[in-house]
Amino acid sequence: MNRLYTLVLACLFSPLVLSADIDPRDLIQKAMDHWRGTSSYSNMSMTIHRPDWQRSMSMRSWTQGEKTSLVRVTEPKKDAGNGTLLKDNNMWTFAPKVNRIIKVPSSMMSQSWMGSDFSNKDISKSTDIIDQYDHSLIETREQDGHKVYVIESIPHEEAAVVWGKEVLTIRDDHVLLEQQFWDQDGVLVKTMKALEIKELGGRTVASIIRMGKVDAPDEWTEMSVKEIEFNVSHPDSLFTLSNLRNPRQ
Amino acid sequence: MSGLPLKAILMLAWRNLWRNHRRTLIMLAAITVGVWAMIFMTALMRGMVDDMLLNGIRGLPGEVQIHHPDYRDDPNVNNSMPAPHDALLSAMRVPEVTAWTSRVRVPAVISSERDSRGVVLLGVEPQSEVKVSFDLETIIEGRFLEDSSDRGLVIGAKMADRLETDLGKRVVVMSQDPDNNIADRGFRIVGVYKAKLASLEETYIYGGRETVQKMLKLGNSVSEVAISGGDYRNVDRWLGGIQQAAGNDVETLPWYEIDTYLGSMLAMMDGFVLVWIIIVFLALSFGLVNTLVMAVFERVREIGLMQALGMRPSTILYQILMESLLLLLIGLALGNAIAVGTIIPLQGGIDISVVAEGMEMMGTSSMLYPALKLNDMILANLIVIILGLLTSILPAWRAASYNPIEALNKT
Repeated sequence: MNRLYTLVLACLFSPLVLSADIDPRDLIQKAMDHWRGTSSYSNMSMTIHRPDWQRSMSMRSWTQGEKTSLVRVTEPKKDAGNGTLLKDNNMWTFAPKVNRIIKVPSSMMSQSWMGSDFSNKDISKSTDIIDQYDHSLIETREQDGHKVYVIESIPHEEAAVVWGKEVLTIRDDHVLLEQQFWDQDGVLVKTMKALEIKELGGRTVASIIRMGKVDAPDEWTEMSVKEIEFNVSHPDSLFTLSNLRNPRQ
Repeated sequence: MSGLPLKAILMLAWRNLWRNHRRTLIMLAAITVGVWAMIFMTALMRGMVDDMLLNGIRGLPGEVQIHHPDYRDDPNVNNSMPAPHDALLSAMRVPEVTAWTSRVRVPAVISSERDSRGVVLLGVEPQSEVKVSFDLETIIEGRFLEDSSDRGLVIGAKMADRLETDLGKRVVVMSQDPDNNIADRGFRIVGVYKAKLASLEETYIYGGRETVQKMLKLGNSVSEVAISGGDYRNVDRWLGGIQQAAGNDVETLPWYEIDTYLGSMLAMMDGFVLVWIIIVFLALSFGLVNTLVMAVFERVREIGLMQALGMRPSTILYQILMESLLLLLIGLALGNAIAVGTIIPLQGGIDISVVAEGMEMMGTSSMLYPALKLNDMILANLIVIILGLLTSILPAWRAASYNPIEALNKT
């Protein structure tokens, strides 16, 4: 009886470990939710590395749900105030130097975001992967005492995605360890990798993420989260164009 | 006329012409080559311009286009217009109109895994598109679209190169819908085309009209209606009817107003042919005058004798003019014959791919098809005869105005 009780308990508290058929789509959804929460506020820095130079900037970011977020650069001084607002698949940028809000047109979606290795599309459409791809679990392995799931996601025929497939590596505590972007010939083009995982804001999250192209190993962009708070309540006025232009927080 | 009958003058002139046959032959050769050059070069240039115009009109496409009034200034998706209505459809049923097609045409971005490029996305109706603009022979891989709801995409070979993508792979096309939201969609490449002009390969990508309309949330609207009649010189005959039927809410324009460069090319070409013929003739006329003047100088005593025997000055004038007329006619006959003889075997096209890159900048392709036009030939012949006779009036006048006594005493 006691043993049965333990088994039931184990089943209840670590369902991922025990269930043989894990829904990969669900897993990705959870990983996204885990990272984002219903809302969040974070303080991070971005480092852009190139063979002959490297620069860093600090930024603050607010998110609300999946489709709303605001990012504002605080350091260095010459970039301070640059901001990006995302709302329902639309994207606006603001640069204090030109004092103008620009709606990012479709033609610029595949260009780089603030000079980094992330494209505007990477930034604005990261959750599209859930609905626009077919997911299948291809590998389950043990790593550092965690179970790690490798999911292969193949985009739907008419999805607005150039990749042939994406491969996501997700730990059983919903930390996204790696996201690989493969082209349609089966060649790995770029990867986003978690370099450091630690406890932040009460959750275990990837605190350093590096995005880099495979054929240019010394060009990469690193996002490092300094602090993050989950489930904070944001005023409605936060995610507005006027707030993008005139910061009030 | 003079005392002598025309036949006698003709006889005298003909014999005089062959008294110094070497000089006559040289002159004949000069006229022949001149006339040949006029006609041959004109045909080459006509061919080049025809090619440029036809290419240009195919690329526009169509001799007449209907747009939203603001579309040409700002070709964005908001400046679309409804699909052709009944009145326009019946106006386009006149016999002069050989084909028409409606297209969605918006700026877009195409991206693959490696690169992305700005392009013009065409949502076309494949069946009528091939009659107006797209040449099926340019498809080098795969196929062209099958119908307007085809979900595939046809891109240029150069574009496929730039994007490092290939037939059968997926690419993403992004543009904007009328509400300024991003409209994007994945397309599988079903065909690759190789255009005569490489720049076109990097500009146009073709999708099915309905598929593109759905992606852009355009409903039934199109960007343009292109109407082709096959004959670019006589568009005005049927343009009026179309304009009336299309109404005032849209802008209906013939090709020479849509692309004024093409239009002025045609006008320039017509002027250029005339200038070219006259320049060649000027070079020729010096030879002609010289020959005739020499012929007159040589025969000063003879002319004096004929005058002394009672030949009137006017007869001498006619005789010299007749000589030059004969010379011109023979030269023209030979020149025309050689020109036609050299152009006809070349009508299959002259391969000028050695200089293709330069020619491409002018908008022509690497094959040159000489175009022999009856009008150009007639123009060349008329100019040579009329100006030729005018230039020979001077030596003839001199010969006719000799004083017989002085002429006879000339040694």
